[in-house]
Amino acid sequence: MQTSPELREGSGTAIAAESLYLVNLLLLPGIGFLILLFLWWRSRAEAPPLARAHLAQTVSGSVWAGILLVVANAAILLLGGYRGPHVWVVVITYFTFCHSMLVLFGAFGLSKAMAGQCWRYPLIGRTLPDGCGGT
Amino acid sequence: MQYKSQAVAKPYFIAAIGLFVGQILFGLIIGLQYVIGDFLFPEIPFNVARMVHTNLLIVWLLFGFMGAAYYLVPEEAERELVSPGLAILMFWIFLVAGALTILGYLLVPYSGLAEMTGNSLLPTMGREFLEQPTITKIGIVIVALAFLFNVGMTVLKGRKTVVSLVLLIGLTGLALLFLFAFYNPDNLVKDKFYWWWVVHLWVEGVWELILGSILAFVLIKTTGVDREVIEKWLYVIIAMTLITGIIGTGHHFYWIGTPEYWQWWGSIFSALEPIPFFMMTVFAFNMVNRRRRNHPNKAAVLWALGTAVMAFLGAGVWGFLHTLSPVNYYTHGSQITAAHGHMAFYGAYVMIVLTMISYAMPMLRGREAANSNRSQVLEMWSFWLMTVSIVFITLFLTGAGILQVYLQRYSADPLPFMVVQDKIALFYWMREVAGVMFLIGLLTYIASFFVGGKEPEAVVAATEGA
Repeated sequence: MQTSPELREGSGTAIAAESLYLVNLLLLPGIGFLILLFLWWRSRAEAPPLARAHLAQTVSGSVWAGILLVVANAAILLLGGYRGPHVWVVVITYFTFCHSMLVLFGAFGLSKAMAGQCWRYPLIGRTLPDGCGGT
Repeated sequence: MQYKSQAVAKPYFIAAIGLFVGQILFGLIIGLQYVIGDFLFPEIPFNVARMVHTNLLIVWLLFGFMGAAYYLVPEEAERELVSPGLAILMFWIFLVAGALTILGYLLVPYSGLAEMTGNSLLPTMGREFLEQPTITKIGIVIVALAFLFNVGMTVLKGRKTVVSLVLLIGLTGLALLFLFAFYNPDNLVKDKFYWWWVVHLWVEGVWELILGSILAFVLIKTTGVDREVIEKWLYVIIAMTLITGIIGTGHHFYWIGTPEYWQWWGSIFSALEPIPFFMMTVFAFNMVNRRRRNHPNKAAVLWALGTAVMAFLGAGVWGFLHTLSPVNYYTHGSQITAAHGHMAFYGAYVMIVLTMISYAMPMLRGREAANSNRSQVLEMWSFWLMTVSIVFITLFLTGAGILQVYLQRYSADPLPFMVVQDKIALFYWMREVAGVMFLIGLLTYIASFFVGGKEPEAVVAATEGA
């Protein structure tokens, strides 16, 4: 669906947020997140609903990505460490699956941002702000 | 259907689906032979069943691509096909030649087939995926040339669009690169080197152009987004495909006796190969998000979006998983390769052919734009059954592959191949169960053609309008 011009306002920030989320996952882990946090901090109060929605989703998604990474690592270390073939079966499938899903969320989010639409990440996303039309 | 000659696509699509069923049946047979070694032996040995499984895949996808081109090109060129009669003649030649080849695999010992078909005159047989007798390969070239003539002349005489030109470049590349199947040097390194020019440059090169153009065509038709926007995306996607895919061939040259620099070239460029697939995902979803109308053929839109996502996962993510040379040192030729192969072929090529069939078949069967709701619901069930099944097949094969690599190649005390095969049998059983689910999905897909035929066509509800 095409969106109204009012909602398109803030699409630049929305696209930047989704791009930084993907940069954090794919190219520059940590650095992408820090720039995203800076963007969120700077724009969180006065940004249009579209930008706020995408900033909230991407920050939340990045935090979840970190939690998934830390929790899995902690669980492995507590349960005996990275020894044995079965641990590697779980580790590689877990990280491939989680990482792919998070990247796909980013791809869907980017396509929504480019179309000037709000979108809530499944499971890990934040509630959309007023003005997003409940999408 | 805007042009009468588009009807020639129908037999191609029907043959493609029929051969697809054959491919899956043989897949289930070899899946079972992994765990019950003498299943159907000596009637259908593993090597023969595997050859039939992979060759049927290639042949039915080619049928699908040809059908897609015969449907797409007249509409893009805004004129009838140059020769519908030639298209039908080539269909029968290709079908009969394909069927005879498969029967030959099944009924005659491979060496006898080579002797019977005069392989000694121009030896081309005996190489994975290119097992076809030389005479069949010559037949494929003739069919491909006639097909290219038909499609090419239609494009040249009619309106030239980016979609049809990219498709034509892809199809021409497909035909030209197949010629390397006739080059069979005695030197094993050279043999493998040029063998990849067919295999890799097909699936990670020119076939992606065909995929991109068909996806663009279906998205133009179903979303109503300006052609210019879609064409710009297509340009960038095919540029990235060729930039990464051509030198990315190097990821097959790591361990075959070629110079060491291929480990760098192959790693760097093939690590970039997920980019066009990622772009395809963003592209497809962006076009659907920006759509100007809701198309009544929801199943076709679902297949189109599914293609983008599954191609990214199968070809992009699972390809990247084992493409860097230090990783590939351990993983090459393991079940991780099989996992990647299954999801990539399904996501990129099976799904794009089914996207086109889903879009075109209602019109080819006399509908205005879409099947009835009931038929579409069943088709969408088949989408989810097949897609979820292939995800599980991939995950089980990935698990098997990781265990295999660890026990057989990584551990300080490596185990022999067959011992490891026993240890990963549970994964093979789970893969077989997922394979049966896939077959059920495929049968559901076929059933969707016979359900709701007399019911009215699906329409877009007023509230759904743009």
